[in-house]
Amino acid sequence: MKHRKSQKGRKPINRADYEECLARLSDVLRDIATHADEQALLRCPYKNRFDRCTAQFACGYKRARQTPEGLPCCASDDHLDYRTAWETDPASVDVMRSQLSSTCENAGTVSCDGRSCEAITGKTIFHHADELDVQVPTSCGRMGTCHECIVEIRSGADALASRTDAEAFLGDAYRLACQAVIEDAGKRIGFELLRRTPKILIAQEYRCIELEPMVTRQDDKVYYGEEELDTYRGQLYGVALDVGTTTMVLELVDLETGRSRYVESFENPQRFGGSDIMTRISYDGGHYNGELHTAIVNTFNTVLRGICKRVGISRHDIYEILVVGNTTMRELFFGLDVQSIGQKPYRSKIEQEYLNGARKTTSLRESARKLRLLANRNAVVFGVPIIASHVGGDIASDLVAIDMAASTEPVMLVDVGTNTEVVLGHSGRLMAASCPAGPAFEGGLVRYGMPGCVGAIESVRWRGGKFDYETIGGVAPEGICGSGLIDLLAELRRTELMTPKGVFRNKAKEIEVAAEHGVTLSRRDASELAQAKAANFCGQAILMRQFGVSPSEISKLYLSGGFANYVSVSSAVEIGFLAPVAEDRVVKIGNGAAQGARELLLSRKKRETIGELVKQIEHVELETTPDFFEVFVEGCQFKPMDWNSLQ
Amino acid sequence: MAELGDVENEFLCNELEQYVEEEVEKQRMVDLYAAISLSMQAIAAAIIDGRHHDVDRMTREALDKDVQALEVMDDGLIAGMALVGIKFRDNFIFVPEVLACARAMKAGMAHIEPILSASGIDPVGKVIMGTVKGDLHDIGKNLCIMMLRGSGFQVIDLGVDTSPDDFIGAVEEHGANLVGMSALLTTTMPNMGRTIEAFIDADLRDDVKFMVGGAPVTEEFAEELGADAYGADAVECVEVAKRLTAESASVHP
Repeated sequence: MKHRKSQKGRKPINRADYEECLARLSDVLRDIATHADEQALLRCPYKNRFDRCTAQFACGYKRARQTPEGLPCCASDDHLDYRTAWETDPASVDVMRSQLSSTCENAGTVSCDGRSCEAITGKTIFHHADELDVQVPTSCGRMGTCHECIVEIRSGADALASRTDAEAFLGDAYRLACQAVIEDAGKRIGFELLRRTPKILIAQEYRCIELEPMVTRQDDKVYYGEEELDTYRGQLYGVALDVGTTTMVLELVDLETGRSRYVESFENPQRFGGSDIMTRISYDGGHYNGELHTAIVNTFNTVLRGICKRVGISRHDIYEILVVGNTTMRELFFGLDVQSIGQKPYRSKIEQEYLNGARKTTSLRESARKLRLLANRNAVVFGVPIIASHVGGDIASDLVAIDMAASTEPVMLVDVGTNTEVVLGHSGRLMAASCPAGPAFEGGLVRYGMPGCVGAIESVRWRGGKFDYETIGGVAPEGICGSGLIDLLAELRRTELMTPKGVFRNKAKEIEVAAEHGVTLSRRDASELAQAKAANFCGQAILMRQFGVSPSEISKLYLSGGFANYVSVSSAVEIGFLAPVAEDRVVKIGNGAAQGARELLLSRKKRETIGELVKQIEHVELETTPDFFEVFVEGCQFKPMDWNSLQ
Repeated sequence: MAELGDVENEFLCNELEQYVEEEVEKQRMVDLYAAISLSMQAIAAAIIDGRHHDVDRMTREALDKDVQALEVMDDGLIAGMALVGIKFRDNFIFVPEVLACARAMKAGMAHIEPILSASGIDPVGKVIMGTVKGDLHDIGKNLCIMMLRGSGFQVIDLGVDTSPDDFIGAVEEHGANLVGMSALLTTTMPNMGRTIEAFIDADLRDDVKFMVGGAPVTEEFAEELGADAYGADAVECVEVAKRLTAESASVHP
């Protein structure tokens, strides 16, 4: 002991250094204590690494010692609340249980996209999304102001605290992820992002077109037509945007080479305002006017910001944003009033102005800055002209993609979607009609219907007494998308499991499609599909009749939009979804609107041509046809279109 | 960047190889251990293994050899607890093992405390901790004590089944002004209230602050029985203890 130094001999400790040291220790211990807390929900803390009990008290799970000096075994399998086995007053067990139940056995979960984590009271959906590694878009720092983090609550909505003022504009199932706080962590909460990326066909092979964009460079200046926009910064970019009611496609194009640099498709974020055009119009006319416009602008900016980062360009390199969309979508994008489109005669203000001579064209031009779009500060936003009523710039864009202006024989374009549009004719005479099909083939109204996302059944065949199917992504089925529904209906007819009127054999209420996964089709679903199909049928049948051509005289039937690219033509013809045109005359053009948008971005000439062409198109109002109702009822039947009976 | 072979202590080497799975983390730990002296590696190993007698002896020896107190704390005690944390997080060890490591750490800290006070650094506060009368559950309380000690508090642990008299005796003996009580049974929860009443009867209530916790205890219950604060878990316990210490310092300067 004589070597031992006294405390005084030791070097004093510096207070600041000690406090830093203590902070490091606290950090290590805090992680341990936090983990201990979490683990206590699943495992008795008195149980050591060898599953032996270290508790000093009696417990119902304690089992005999294996050796006299050893610790007793623990018989708990950790599935039940271990605390109830602890030595305690019998009467208090129930009280304990009820107090522990919310955190133990019935621990709730939050799930999204097949992933789930434990629900934590007081934390937001956004917090849980972080846990799940689900990326929720936001640009306001989760303050509830940007309205980008809208999520659809699929289950457990009652476990959330009531909506905040910031969320007042949202409908029932929708919440802002940053505002929705979990109140009851004992429930299972499921949510989905509005911007799931659907499987969308993006044309892989581009047609070669003459490069003649509006945005050009002359020496060190950038021009839009004759107007000077900016000093040349080294590159010229443009954006072609197809705004669909359900899906949007954004393409970034190098205006100097004509090359597409990036294409991204994503869900239209306006779903909280309804899934079809008419509900969106009435939503925008209500108390929350402007929210739909804000949502789409913010989403556009978020997506474009990500693309710029990935491609490595600056927003200042983007000089033009060309927008195509049905009339409502286009006007909402431009922040215009859409109320007149919702009432007879279903014309936008722009179309009215055009018709009464106040404007020469229905195309739109606005500055990107005014619309708060991410682009060069002088960039131009161009809205492709609409055709008439609901038949918008997306169809005009389709016509560009199929080069309608050059066709001499009658061709028919069917752009399948929530609103199906049909254009029939040739360069000399053109007719167009809009058919409000509704969302039944796109995931709405049908119980197990879903958009063309991963997990959707996309094709169906009846084999050996049951349905064989394929899903997108090859995963377990969650539902059926449009092409799968068309196949399914055709197979039900082929096997006579369903009558043309949609009655199932033996008056069954539903048909099992993927029994092991609970995916079924009900009578009600069939009836929704019949009506949606009838809208498609009416558009084609009435237009052919007015134009005076029979299906066999149609030289080409172009199928465009949404799921049309995946549809089996024979199935579609068999149920009367498509006119009976020989299969070799049917051309699937994928997303024609997006393709046409890219061409319009790159060619002034095409812009001029389509601007003139749309003015010649006769718009047919289907509902004003005298026998519309008879044709509609005929169209509700699942059977091929009988041309002779329509004459 | 050091390699596993650079860590001379064989026990640490084995531990790293066996329990640290993630490459980046493994490298970080290898770098940490390779950089510290052999005697510190030995202390870290003893912490990880929960050998408190060894930690006690080796810490004393190191300080006798003029190793700086903070070096012992950083390179021996904290370095050891860091791996304990990783093993616990990845479910290689559980709470009983962690508490054994915490006990070993305390044995080391016991030699550092006198140097701290000689340097004029007082504990953040002094806390009496115990599970109330009739209750034998101590894990939650022990985790709280681990956290409190790791945050610079001096803790007097009265263990389980602590009678009101034991609490009063400890407060008088140590001159503490903060008492933490834990209960895990609804049947023993009222004993928290009885303890506080005993302090009132002994005319000591104004000298101390009470914080309470335990699975069945709630904020409302804490208020009802007249406690000064409630802590939901070990992390909150430290925050509460700091707050109450600051409050009583302003009352009794």
